[in-house]
Amino acid sequence: MSLTTMPVRDGGARRVTRALRFDPMAWLGILLLLLVWELAACLLPPAILPAPLGVVRRLCSEFLSAPDLSYFGLANASLLGSMTYTAENVLLAMIVGAAFAIPLGLVTARQELIRAVIDPVMMTVGTVPILILAPFLLIWFGVGRASAVLLVTFYVIVVVYVAAQRAAENIAPVFEDYAATLGASPRAVLRDILIPATIPEILGGLRIALAGAWGLEAVSELLGAQQGIGKIIEVLAGATDAQGIMAALLLLGLVATVCDGCAAWAIHRLTRWKSSTPVAGA
Amino acid sequence: MANAVQDIQIRHLSRRFTRADGQTVTALDDLSVTIKAGEFVCLVGPSGCGKTTLLQMLAGLLRQSSGEIEAQGKPVLRPGPERGVVFQKDSVFPWMRVIDNVEYGLKCRGVSKGERRERALHYLERVGLMQVAQAWPKELSGGMLKRVAIATVFANGAEILMLDEPFGALDYVTRHQLHDVLLDLWLDGEGGRRRTVIFVTHDVDEALILADRILVFHSGRMVEDLAVTLPKPRSADDLVLPELVNHRHRLLQHMGLIRPAAAKPGQ
Ligand SMILES: Nc1ncnc2c1ncn2[C@@H]1O[C@H](COP(=O)(O)OP(=O)(O)O)[C@@H](O)[C@H]1O
Ligand SMILES: [Mg+2]
Repeated sequence: MSLTTMPVRDGGARRVTRALRFDPMAWLGILLLLLVWELAACLLPPAILPAPLGVVRRLCSEFLSAPDLSYFGLANASLLGSMTYTAENVLLAMIVGAAFAIPLGLVTARQELIRAVIDPVMMTVGTVPILILAPFLLIWFGVGRASAVLLVTFYVIVVVYVAAQRAAENIAPVFEDYAATLGASPRAVLRDILIPATIPEILGGLRIALAGAWGLEAVSELLGAQQGIGKIIEVLAGATDAQGIMAALLLLGLVATVCDGCAAWAIHRLTRWKSSTPVAGA
Repeated sequence: MANAVQDIQIRHLSRRFTRADGQTVTALDDLSVTIKAGEFVCLVGPSGCGKTTLLQMLAGLLRQSSGEIEAQGKPVLRPGPERGVVFQKDSVFPWMRVIDNVEYGLKCRGVSKGERRERALHYLERVGLMQVAQAWPKELSGGMLKRVAIATVFANGAEILMLDEPFGALDYVTRHQLHDVLLDLWLDGEGGRRRTVIFVTHDVDEALILADRILVFHSGRMVEDLAVTLPKPRSADDLVLPELVNHRHRLLQHMGLIRPAAAKPGQ
């Protein structure tokens, strides 16, 4: 069986590959930004605004080891080491948050009673700016990994819970009925209907959570931590090292962008069945 | 064929709904009827007369308010693969390729990979969809999706097939093509035994082309039980034959589309 005989070609795939590829206008935009930055850097003193090339050079030179930073007594003095620490925390928070929020969201979509209890809690946590929790977490858990991871985990839980719940609510009941009339057991319905049908929206929620998690993790490190990109920025800010801060930010931005691209690609691969172009004809 | 155990026995079946505003609606009112094994029965009636409600109870997806349903000698309590349903809404799973959809019921019941693939391909060929076996449902048209659903229930080997206005949303040509597909599959039943088909429609002509027997419903009550003896397969051309013209007249009368004073055609 070949796919060449399919009546309609996959328009969705083309759109996603286009979105992943940089088009010339995007390059132009980035170039323009760099140009303005370079010009402004010429006019302002480097302590206020460092030049872009210098920032990139700094990123490269301090990537694997940063003797300057070891003066501040950081455990992981290199940019790579700090970025790894931050990325580990984000990953951990994503895993713990997803493991907690996905089942909870799916269950509450079907169990009114449990939902009546959980929903108000989630809505309260969801409406309060989550950073407010940082001081409490620092008091309770100290400046180690736990505080930052917990903060980000709370955020991931709120975002993914809502996505999972909505996904389960949006499944047309006809699919479960149909499966039952074909002889599917309740377990088979969960495995073959509920999970695949909710995957696209849940993955969408995870992607949003991931995008927000980087910033939240960095800020919580800024507020109190011993390692991580946020800690580096805090230390360099104390030394008014604008170039160093920019280099750290550039690395964080690059990693977050690449991760988001990977997430988009994975979502596209996993949800090829999902309608993205309406089909015409009989 | 006259095996009473295989028949569907419906006795004093009723279903009431309470609407959100507190009003009680009787969707089906004290229905008693026996549907014989291998019969092709059409349920006809205007929208809201209780056809879907009856089908859902037969499928075991909805509990009755009172009365009993017995299929193949057992009371109907829950859905099961011995009673297949083609739903009014599209129910083909979008996240499975066409071939996996057709195989799904067999897979659930532990049929081996090779055997279920063979069966699925056989029925896909019968409905004319061999070339899209590996396609995603989103790539198919409405008529093709109905073919997939029909191939699936036939491949699944259900003795009783229920179809709820399956072709209601399709164009004239596609609808007639699918009548042929369905009749073709029904006429040569597996092991020489025809399956029981319960086909819901609001289209009188569709019922006349397909049915051995037409049950007419109005406001939750069965108001007519017509036998259609003209041999099958029938085509749209046969609608001018006297038997079908007479039945048609009666059906339209029940639907209030012909005033009693109007003359009966052909007599
Ligand atoms: N879940 C429900 N809640 C309330 N009323 C319902 C429900 N399902 C069906 N009904 C009512 O029962 C009657 C019969 O509906 P239905 O069986 O869907 O009709 P048909 O399929 O013949 O168009 C209608 O009046 C409809 O409003
Ligand atoms: Mg209906």
